[in-house]
Amino acid sequence: MAATRRLQKELGDIRNSGLKSFRDIQVDESNILTWQGLIVPDNPPYNKGAFKIEINFPAEYPFKPPKINFKTKIYHPNIDEKGQVCLPIISAENWKPATKTDQVIQALVALVNEPEPEHPLRGDLAEEYLKDKKKFTKNAEEYTKKHSEKRPAD
Amino acid sequence: MSSIINAIKSILHSMLQLFWFGKKTITNSLSIYIKTSGGSTISVDLDPTWDIKNVKEIVAPKLGLEPEEVKIIFAGKELGDNITISECDLGQKSILHAVKIKSRPKLPQPRHSLIDEDEEQGSKPLCETLRDTMFSNEDGSRNSANAEDDSSSTKVDKKVHFYVFCPTCKALKHGKLRVRCHFCKSGAFTVHSDPQNWNDVLIPKQITGLCENSPELCANLLDNLEPTFAEFYFKCSEHTSLGEQDQAVPLYLIRPNLSNVPCLACADVSDPVFVFPCPEGHVTCLDCFRQYCITKLNERQFWQHPELGYTLACPAGCVDSFIKEIHHFRLLTDNQYAQYQRFGTEEFVLRSGGVLCPQPGCGMGILVDDPDCMKITCINGCGYVFCRNCLQGYHIGECDSVEDGLKNSGSGGCYSVDPARVADARWDEASKVAIKVLTKPCPKCRTPTERDGGCMHMICTRAGCGFHWCWVCQTDWTRDCMGSHWFG
Repeated sequence: MAATRRLQKELGDIRNSGLKSFRDIQVDESNILTWQGLIVPDNPPYNKGAFKIEINFPAEYPFKPPKINFKTKIYHPNIDEKGQVCLPIISAENWKPATKTDQVIQALVALVNEPEPEHPLRGDLAEEYLKDKKKFTKNAEEYTKKHSEKRPAD
Repeated sequence: MSSIINAIKSILHSMLQLFWFGKKTITNSLSIYIKTSGGSTISVDLDPTWDIKNVKEIVAPKLGLEPEEVKIIFAGKELGDNITISECDLGQKSILHAVKIKSRPKLPQPRHSLIDEDEEQGSKPLCETLRDTMFSNEDGSRNSANAEDDSSSTKVDKKVHFYVFCPTCKALKHGKLRVRCHFCKSGAFTVHSDPQNWNDVLIPKQITGLCENSPELCANLLDNLEPTFAEFYFKCSEHTSLGEQDQAVPLYLIRPNLSNVPCLACADVSDPVFVFPCPEGHVTCLDCFRQYCITKLNERQFWQHPELGYTLACPAGCVDSFIKEIHHFRLLTDNQYAQYQRFGTEEFVLRSGGVLCPQPGCGMGILVDDPDCMKITCINGCGYVFCRNCLQGYHIGECDSVEDGLKNSGSGGCYSVDPARVADARWDEASKVAIKVLTKPCPKCRTPTERDGGCMHMICTRAGCGFHWCWVCQTDWTRDCMGSHWFG
């Protein structure tokens, strides 16, 4: 199966690359189509914590894009209450089979660090971000402290 | 004395072979047809170790000629005397052409110098002179990876490999390139030069040659205005030839992986590979090509191209990269290919302004000439008569709205229906209800669309539509929609 072979390679590559912003990758031996990992953003207000995500690859991968879900609650204009994220690189219209998972993760980390209020998934947060950045940052920081995972020590 | 011993040896040998290996002596020889210029066909058994001179010695007496007066033509080449049968890429029941050498008629033909020097002695068969590198691109231009390898060419410059879809074996097979006269279709035809790339082979009238069958006729047909051209075609190399009509479709995008390019989907290096017709020449392995087709097919994302048919482009999204030879989709299983054909036909009918019969299990495509005609009868299918607009049974007056239609179907009692039929139809009806409740039609192409989260800005996913619309207004997506109800 194309998906399995490719994902094994990608998983090996990502683990060897030593990405600082995506750690603790866990993959069930029996199901390589589901990955879990920890997003560790650099920019405030999210640099006070880390965020667990799940990547689900369809059986038709890489001809269909993976889906990403946040398992940790996050106060972010592009990520909704259910943990769904709107990431153009993995939308059905834009997806290219040659896109690698590390590119997807880098795009995701970039989106977490720099929200895009022009394409929001939560209109209320986007509005707050654009109209009252201070208030947004304060809320997001508090939310991060309350809900996020502990950041890895190193 | 030694000859007698040899004879006894060979008899013993053949007896032993018969005893130990059964049929082996028969499979070892090639049963070949030789077509003569007179139109008759001779059947001969040839030993693969024999050379063309031996063949001439066998054939000449049957034509009433001396061996020196005969030339043997195969796949566009006059074969040299010292070529062995095994070099010629012949299969069981292949056809060789034997022609009497005559003073060559002076035809107004450009003579390419490539094989002229060898002409008296004949030349090597086509399969020996063509190289894989020539056919790595359509126009013979080589990509940089190949060019680098040219210096150490021995490894790369392999004899040519062709892949075909064989309608007899119903599978992807190795193919053999064959040549005949473009005009009279006779195989007694010699080319003036080898094809140098795929364009020479696939595009008609690229390579000139000499028709030995009836040179005067073929030249006269053209009023001597243009030279006689070669026509290239392919045969399956894995089944016994069924005669001159037995052809296979060249799947020219399947090529030997000369520079070990990894598959863009699974990153494995395999051979052969599928090379997409984009400028970059993106490569997938054949497994991933199938997977790509199936995924796209299940989502109805094939493209109905006005000239090429129902096809796909490079998965990397390159412009101008449609697969032109749709027989490449024969790599799918029979069931998948049948589905491909059905979807392709449906798409064609809809694009041509036709309708599909809405009866469950029918789905016949119906082309209607009169754009105003609302009463459609499924003539060649189930005979159902329906309204073109609402796809319900034909009615006089306005169409019922969707809600009314559902209510009516629940009220019952108005007409009698076979109870078995009712039971069968239940699941369909349940699906229909589910689709109607959960979806809204794309305002442009009417494809039922489900919204599973996110904002109200919808983009139709149907191939060729891509309409931006608003889930709330069910019209174009506008700035007003963005302002007032982007998120509901």
